[in-house]
Amino acid sequence: MSLSFTKLALGTAIGSLLSGAVVASDLVITFDDLNPAPKAAFEAAVDAFKAANPDINVTANITDREAHKGTIRNALQNDAPDVIAWYPGNRMGPFVDAGLFMDISDLWASDPNLSERFNAIKPTMTRDGKQWGVPYSYYQWGVYYRKDIYDKLNLSEPATWSDLLSNCDALKEAGVTPFTIGTKFLWTAAGVFDYLNLRTNGYEVHNALTAGEIKYTDDRIRATFANWEEMLDRCSFISTHATMSWQDAISPFAKGDASMYVMGNFSVAGYKDAGLTDEQIDFFQFPEITPGLPRAEEAPADALFIPAKAKNVENAKKFLAFIATPEIQSEWNKAIGQLPPNSAAEINTDDKFIVEGMATLSTASGLAQFYDRDAPAAMAKAGMEGFQKFMLDPSTLDEVLEGLDKVQAEVYK
Amino acid sequence: MVQQWLGYSQQVQARVPTFFIRLGFFMVALTAAYFLFTSLSYYKRNKIALAPWLFLAVGLVFFLIYVIFPIFQSLSYSFTRWDGLYDINGDWTGEWVGLHNYRVLLDDPNFYTSLKNNVLWLLLFMLAVPIGLFIALFLNQTVTGIRFYKSLFFFPFVISQVVVGLIFTWAYNPEFGLLSEIWSWFFCETKENIVGNLTRVCSVEPPSILGDENFATYGIIAAGLWPQIAYCMILYLTGLNNISSDQIEAGYLDGARGWRMLWHVVLPQLKPATFIAVVVTVIGALRSFDMIATMTQGGPFGSTNVLAYYMYDQAVGEGVGRYGYGSAIATVLFLIMLVYISYFLWRMYQDEREAG
Repeated sequence: MSLSFTKLALGTAIGSLLSGAVVASDLVITFDDLNPAPKAAFEAAVDAFKAANPDINVTANITDREAHKGTIRNALQNDAPDVIAWYPGNRMGPFVDAGLFMDISDLWASDPNLSERFNAIKPTMTRDGKQWGVPYSYYQWGVYYRKDIYDKLNLSEPATWSDLLSNCDALKEAGVTPFTIGTKFLWTAAGVFDYLNLRTNGYEVHNALTAGEIKYTDDRIRATFANWEEMLDRCSFISTHATMSWQDAISPFAKGDASMYVMGNFSVAGYKDAGLTDEQIDFFQFPEITPGLPRAEEAPADALFIPAKAKNVENAKKFLAFIATPEIQSEWNKAIGQLPPNSAAEINTDDKFIVEGMATLSTASGLAQFYDRDAPAAMAKAGMEGFQKFMLDPSTLDEVLEGLDKVQAEVYK
Repeated sequence: MVQQWLGYSQQVQARVPTFFIRLGFFMVALTAAYFLFTSLSYYKRNKIALAPWLFLAVGLVFFLIYVIFPIFQSLSYSFTRWDGLYDINGDWTGEWVGLHNYRVLLDDPNFYTSLKNNVLWLLLFMLAVPIGLFIALFLNQTVTGIRFYKSLFFFPFVISQVVVGLIFTWAYNPEFGLLSEIWSWFFCETKENIVGNLTRVCSVEPPSILGDENFATYGIIAAGLWPQIAYCMILYLTGLNNISSDQIEAGYLDGARGWRMLWHVVLPQLKPATFIAVVVTVIGALRSFDMIATMTQGGPFGSTNVLAYYMYDQAVGEGVGRYGYGSAIATVLFLIMLVYISYFLWRMYQDEREAG
């Protein structure tokens, strides 16, 4: 405590010395990722901002991601920082509706980067026709697979549903479980559901479902579950998935007992830590199911927001405009191995997953945020439990779907 | 640095000294009020009647603020739909929905699963009492090193619930856990897989205890029993120390042996210990929250929820934010506990009346 007081006092003193006649002002930022790479990337961006704006005293607090989900409520309602990290899509909904986030549509209209180079992601940041935050990063989802196993069995990346199913048959014949997954914390199952639904019914229907306009017992959603049942049957998942986290599920993949993983790009670091090399793993887009359907993708974004109670709004807007610049977006995302939302930003061309991800997302017809961000939290929780139940026992389908309809009727009011 | 890891923010740090200064003022004011009050002549005249209340005052105030007031507060929330947020002006954002939450509750399969699990916990947790008794009887002998053996049996009670939960979670793990290792001696063989790594192929898959809705709750209860048995054992061991040897001898002379001795001579004398053991075991069963949070978080798909965990899950867990609904669950849980607590207090009152 005393340490940070001294730091604060020192910072203020040095700040006022340097700025001289200019009146110093403050900027308090709360960021939510303590993992080494994201933390370093954030700090580098803050340092660059400090260098460009020596008259602003920046205080950056970094909290643990899971803890942040609980503390943000308190932070927004009481001692709000000037900039705070949170998720776009429906996850920002409750805070926007309660008037706890500041409307920054004016910044989106006037800033040269935000107004022109963020078109793909803009709908995600929009609620009630206004923009509420600035995304600093996003990443693709898809199927990561063991290329060495595919090569050994002379399989190629599947482009269609039947390709995938026949690949699965060959893999099972060779004693390899086609898919690994760890559903202990539920959300991984939502990734599979999202893709099956996006490929079976398309972006519009998927959006209507997560917005509560379509019932889960709708025939279109039943068609998605019929495909899922076929996938469970012919492309089985590892049997113990309900006790494993997504990290645990890397182990059978790394050992070669399982060959594919429906996952987000952040998982690549995990495969490499488990000893796999770039030659052993590769990526393909989730294959087409309904022919001719425009291809939508899963691309969750991370963003920064200004709380309505922020004290230094001008500085906060300056900071958000700063992180929207192509240079900062490039540096930040190179450091964390993800994609910059600014279309003018450069990507790391040495990383094949990033290159493929960019190609996947830039040609997509629509971007979904992920089931637990597109649907309200109460719906998402029930939905993901339902997915897990269905995966463990597909015969419970009717019970699951009718249960979800009940929750849906309750949540979207 | 450390504060940042713990998730503290700068603002909270800045508030800490102010809090202590305020607390200091409060204490001084309280002491002053105490001396002022005790110097009143009214107090001096009624000292005997007022003194107990004076001692109780501090406790009563905190009990009122932290127990009684929240009960009514959550009761009132249970009639509303609210996501836990106040808006920018500090205004409450919920709406009154009457009995709606209770109607939804009656139609919610997860609620019945949680209720069923609560009953399972209460019933199966009671096993800790007889098992604890038999271990205590077994350990109640004089052999060299018996203190060491006793401490070994007592050990699980000393370690934290969270650690017990983690140890059992690992033991149950179907991939690398102790159970699956034993299982693989019988049903599995090691083979080389497609890329040349050694892997386990089983004729019968090892059981995935925490991943199977039919076993998961029993798995957690078994983990919870481990420290609870140790607790009951220690209660009975102290109880056995106080058994009068005269009665044992008298029983022996009258020809009581084995079970008859235990049932008619030893157990009646252990009645106070049994009463306490049952009470702490019921409380332990209702405090299953920590074990569930560490072992399954209510999963798979909510099948290991108990009412307390389901309430937490719906109200504050992972930003679900159904505060009204969570409060309705809390109210039901409170009513159920109230029955038990009333019975317990009534029993205590009766016992004291008999004794007095």
